[in-house]
Amino acid sequence: MTSRFFAQGASDSEDESDYEEEITEVQNNIDSRYLEGGSDDDDDTDTKRVVKPAKDKRFEEMTHTVEQMKNAMKINDWVSLQENFDKVNKQLEKVMRITEAVKAPGLYIKTLVLLEDFLNEALANKEAKKKMSPSNSKALNAMRQKLKKNNKQYEEDINKYREAPEVEDENEGEDDEEEESEFEDDVSLEDVVVAPVDEPVEDNRWETMKNKGEREMEKLLSKDPKEITWEWVNQKFKEIVAARGKKGTARFELVDQLTHLTKIAKTPAQKLEILFSVISAQFDVNPGLSGHMPIKVWKKCVLNMLTILDILVKYSNIVVDDTIEPDENESSKPADYDGKVRVWGNLVAFIERIDTEFFKSLQSIDPHTREYVERLRDEPMFLALAQNIQDYFERMGDFKSAAKVALRRVESIYYKPQEVYEAMRKLAELAEEDEDAEEGEEENGPPSSFIVVPEVVPRKPTFPESGRAMMDLLVSLIYRNGDERTKARAMLCDIYHHALMDNFGTARDLLLMSHLQDNIQHMDISTQILFNRTMAQLGLCAFRVGMITESHSCLSELYSGQRVRELLAQGVSQSRYHEKTPEQERMERRRQMPYHMHLNLELLEAVHLIGAMLLEVPNMAANSLEARRRVISKNFRRLLEISERQAFNAPPENVRDHVMAATRALTKGDFQTAFEVLNSLEVWRLLKNRDSILEMVKARIKEEALRTYLFTYSSSYESLSLDQLAKMFDISKALVHSIVSKMMINEELHASWDQPTQCIVFHEVQHSRLQSLAFQLTEKLSVLAESNERAMESRTGGGGLDLSSRRRDNNQDYAGAASGGGKWQDNMNYGQGRQGNRSGYGGRSSGQNGQPRDWSGQNRGGGYVGRAGSVNRGGMQMDGSSRMVNLNRGGRP
Amino acid sequence: MAETKENYDLTPRVAPNLDRHLVFPILEFLQERQLYPDEQILKFKIELLNKTNMVDYAMDIHKSLYHTEDAPQDMVERRAEVVARLKSLEEAAAPLVTFLLNPNAVQELRADKQYNLQMLKERYQIGPDQIEALYQYAKFQFECGNYSGAADYLYQYRTLCSNLERSLSALWGKLASEILMQNWDIALEELNRVKEIIDSKSFASPLNQVQNRIWLMHWGLYIFFNHENGRTQIIDLFIQDKYMNAIQTSAPHLLRYLATAFIVNKRRRPQLKEFIKVIQQEHYSYKDPIVEFLACVFVNYDFDGAQRKMKECEEVIVNDPFLGKRVEDGNFSTVPLKDEFLENARLFIFETYCRIHQRIDMGVLAEKLNLNYEEAERWIVNLIRTSKLDAKIDSESGTVIMEPTQPNVHEQLVNHTKALSGRTYKLVTQLLEHSQGQAAR
Repeated sequence: MTSRFFAQGASDSEDESDYEEEITEVQNNIDSRYLEGGSDDDDDTDTKRVVKPAKDKRFEEMTHTVEQMKNAMKINDWVSLQENFDKVNKQLEKVMRITEAVKAPGLYIKTLVLLEDFLNEALANKEAKKKMSPSNSKALNAMRQKLKKNNKQYEEDINKYREAPEVEDENEGEDDEEEESEFEDDVSLEDVVVAPVDEPVEDNRWETMKNKGEREMEKLLSKDPKEITWEWVNQKFKEIVAARGKKGTARFELVDQLTHLTKIAKTPAQKLEILFSVISAQFDVNPGLSGHMPIKVWKKCVLNMLTILDILVKYSNIVVDDTIEPDENESSKPADYDGKVRVWGNLVAFIERIDTEFFKSLQSIDPHTREYVERLRDEPMFLALAQNIQDYFERMGDFKSAAKVALRRVESIYYKPQEVYEAMRKLAELAEEDEDAEEGEEENGPPSSFIVVPEVVPRKPTFPESGRAMMDLLVSLIYRNGDERTKARAMLCDIYHHALMDNFGTARDLLLMSHLQDNIQHMDISTQILFNRTMAQLGLCAFRVGMITESHSCLSELYSGQRVRELLAQGVSQSRYHEKTPEQERMERRRQMPYHMHLNLELLEAVHLIGAMLLEVPNMAANSLEARRRVISKNFRRLLEISERQAFNAPPENVRDHVMAATRALTKGDFQTAFEVLNSLEVWRLLKNRDSILEMVKARIKEEALRTYLFTYSSSYESLSLDQLAKMFDISKALVHSIVSKMMINEELHASWDQPTQCIVFHEVQHSRLQSLAFQLTEKLSVLAESNERAMESRTGGGGLDLSSRRRDNNQDYAGAASGGGKWQDNMNYGQGRQGNRSGYGGRSSGQNGQPRDWSGQNRGGGYVGRAGSVNRGGMQMDGSSRMVNLNRGGRP
Repeated sequence: MAETKENYDLTPRVAPNLDRHLVFPILEFLQERQLYPDEQILKFKIELLNKTNMVDYAMDIHKSLYHTEDAPQDMVERRAEVVARLKSLEEAAAPLVTFLLNPNAVQELRADKQYNLQMLKERYQIGPDQIEALYQYAKFQFECGNYSGAADYLYQYRTLCSNLERSLSALWGKLASEILMQNWDIALEELNRVKEIIDSKSFASPLNQVQNRIWLMHWGLYIFFNHENGRTQIIDLFIQDKYMNAIQTSAPHLLRYLATAFIVNKRRRPQLKEFIKVIQQEHYSYKDPIVEFLACVFVNYDFDGAQRKMKECEEVIVNDPFLGKRVEDGNFSTVPLKDEFLENARLFIFETYCRIHQRIDMGVLAEKLNLNYEEAERWIVNLIRTSKLDAKIDSESGTVIMEPTQPNVHEQLVNHTKALSGRTYKLVTQLLEHSQGQAAR
């Protein structure tokens, strides 16, 4: 690739030979490797425009440093050389990150070669070495070690460069002709003269290594089939495995060799053993944690796994185990051996790794490309494998492992709505046919193996009709057999899926009964992310079914900070106040959800803000005169304040602006405008039954407009007729009657109906100065008593069970919040939340108007056996952000 | 209409939680009400009886179902088998039974179980085997439909039995026998005994415990709607957190009975608010006219809806085996609970209605209450006279005028401060206790 580029570059850069140009070339070259089918025959004018300043800058910096290094070499200044070397390494990192390249740029490699040569020369020249100043010689030694270490990474590139340095020189030489060529000559001359001993040795070593690999392969291939015995295969296998992970072992070759070995394996057990190694080797193909396994390798890996299963199913006397150290010659037992044959291996670990690799590949592929879609199509393949493995485990009676595999399956379908599920089902059926054809061809190619394993295991995943059915099946298996974490995750997925299907009631019950809210803090981060996603989906679900209060209480925590993206692992949010370490950043990037699993953030925000608006606007109107205002959504209030501060309001652009505009209209009771503004939001098209939802939103807006109107203007009326109200807000009389009645009962509105005339008659409640003062006094007294109790409670440590139960009577949910005595005890809501944080959730969760409910798997087989404690089943007011999962914790070990 | 009747019929949901024998009264009731075709019910009965030992009864039903005179072969065989088994069991339990039948011997028994066992063994050669046989015999008696015998034997067995598990099932058996014999007082005692054991015993899994509670509640339905004090008892039992949880998780249909009890019973008003919340939570999982009626009155304030629901409720009550118990009064039978329910439901509506109105037209009111004008007037006058209602009737315009119920400012202030001293006092006591506790340490 490189040489091709350079060759091309040489011909192209005749007239415009500046650095920019060359970098672009490099860029292009790299890009084209990613963009499949990206045209190689780029014209210069085009590429030039593409150049990005940031990349330029990095490259310029790098070349600058390289210049400096060259200068340092000239004067034999090892100290500055060392400094510059470090610098160039750092810059390399940046360049690589910006260009997203896998390979180091040629410039860097060239420098490495120069350095190496220069170093060898310096080492060889013992006299000069003696003459050096102590600091200089110290730096020289340090440099030697560093370089050795560093060069190992780029061994291949360096060798390539050494093989064809002229091409590169030709290309680069043009840029800084005088200095460079002079220097180059110098070096090459010295290369030949001074360091002939060292140089060829290394070259040779590499040569032999490569040859060895090839020879090995040839040996394997040329071996006469008749001569192959079990011992021979076993020995070869050991040899190859021993080479694994060693320096200089080409990973792909290892895989190839092993694959060949599987073909000539003598017994099924041996074949199995070798296949396990093949898969491990395939996992090793991609070093490091950040990248993902090449897709081709991944696919082969899956096929290998299927073959393993074939063997296992066919020869049921073979047992895979990773606990016991197997006997040396265990695998020598022939196919018709009766007893048990133990082979070392861990299918669960493999399938989990395969899943993780799949996930990682989706993370790193750009979601807007075709590649991503192509990659997604591989999912049924994985599901088929997982299904087979699960079946296998179930047959073997290893339900624990089966549960683990089932969880993987659950996690790959829980976020799919029925339509997507259906599409996947169809795709799986279609894809299978194609694959069959392909496979057939492939099979014919290579020489047939000794152990021919028929395809016992189905290659096609079978899907039940609906996603729900599949979820139920898997989840109940997990609830019966899984461990704590598996069960918790399955439960979350289950809840998510219920919410996705608009079964709010079921989803809520499951969430509350599983006590996940209490325990989620102690779980690992990816489970916490799943929890957050579930809460978000639950909020959306509540909104879709028209339960605004519930929806808001689900989502408000998510929006209490400014970190929604981070909480849902859908992008990184920048924080102004604390810089993240690169380590943290990398961790965060590894946790990101692939694009197709994302929840739409705009929709989420819209739902949250609309919910907050519907609750907050009448609330503000009701309590506008009171000193202590009850705030339902702090976030919403803040946004509203910001938008009110503006002198002029521009037409709404984003979701937030829209809701704010709607809020302004709603405060005036103008429901028509409010709804129109919201209706113009783009995000609604993402909803399935959009019309009915909009209808619901409209109805709710009308209701809240009516309430707001009554709160705001009731003092100006002696009486109001039902007809008029109904006409004003375009609501049926019965509904108006119901709403107003509710307000009367809750004493939000001091009025009563006059039935014969169908009027609301308002009662003026005016307190005298003395009376209102007396009220204030009592209020303060009760606050005092309250804080005393809290202080006491915190000291004695939650000894106040009777206190909190008393408080339960005072607490009302949102609808009845302002009634009677509630009005001046509302602040307790928050106090209680704070207190709860201190003394643990145990006592508090039952404090909030909910019914505790001991839980024990509703109509679900064995059930997810509940943990002790009580659940707040009521309004789901999980106040305080304390329950929300904080992801930063994970950054620190 | 027939369809809705079936929709409201809870038998399919209730029956799985009952003992086979307990289902018979329900089936009898259904047969009487003609909700299902006779044949279906008879078939179902036979199916039920197949697992019990009441073979004779099964034969009778079979005959009336197929209008034949001869019973099928397998039934005859089974009859012989049952009789034989009864004989053998009787023999096995004979020593103990004769002992128990002897009043002099029984007097030797003391409160000490250990002593009794010892004594039986030494003096009468009655060991654990015989005691076990007594249990089996009692069980068999029960299955044959001889409930009083079973009840007696089980009672005796419990005094001698040392196995807790067995003792519990004996208790269940006793409870079922008493219910079937309609000894409501004793049954209620047994019920409380079972409840205590369920609450105190540690079960293998929480699921088991919940299941036991649900059984208990279902069985209790027989007692609660027949015992004079049952309607308070049902509320006390069902509203307990543990039982309410069980209802919510596994048997939401029980809400109907609880709701009915709440409407009929005036003494448990304070708990009503809590119950309304439960209804709101559960409305997605269970729908019932009686529950919906409460929702209409207390959640939506939809009085027209409540009125409609009231009519449906009537239907439901008449057709419910537990609620629709008939009392024969001369020529015509009445359902006492229905009348009581309607009266109280009316009151519910009226009360809430009055709270938010200051003037109501009598005609409308009469309509809302399902009464005619005169009746309504009489009804209201009665309420005013018994000072349940603070209102006046304006005959000229035909309206009821509510007295303004402005909360008195002084009253409000008193209310607000009333609890303060108590709270402070409690706080001080707590503080003292705490400091003492610390000092002691």
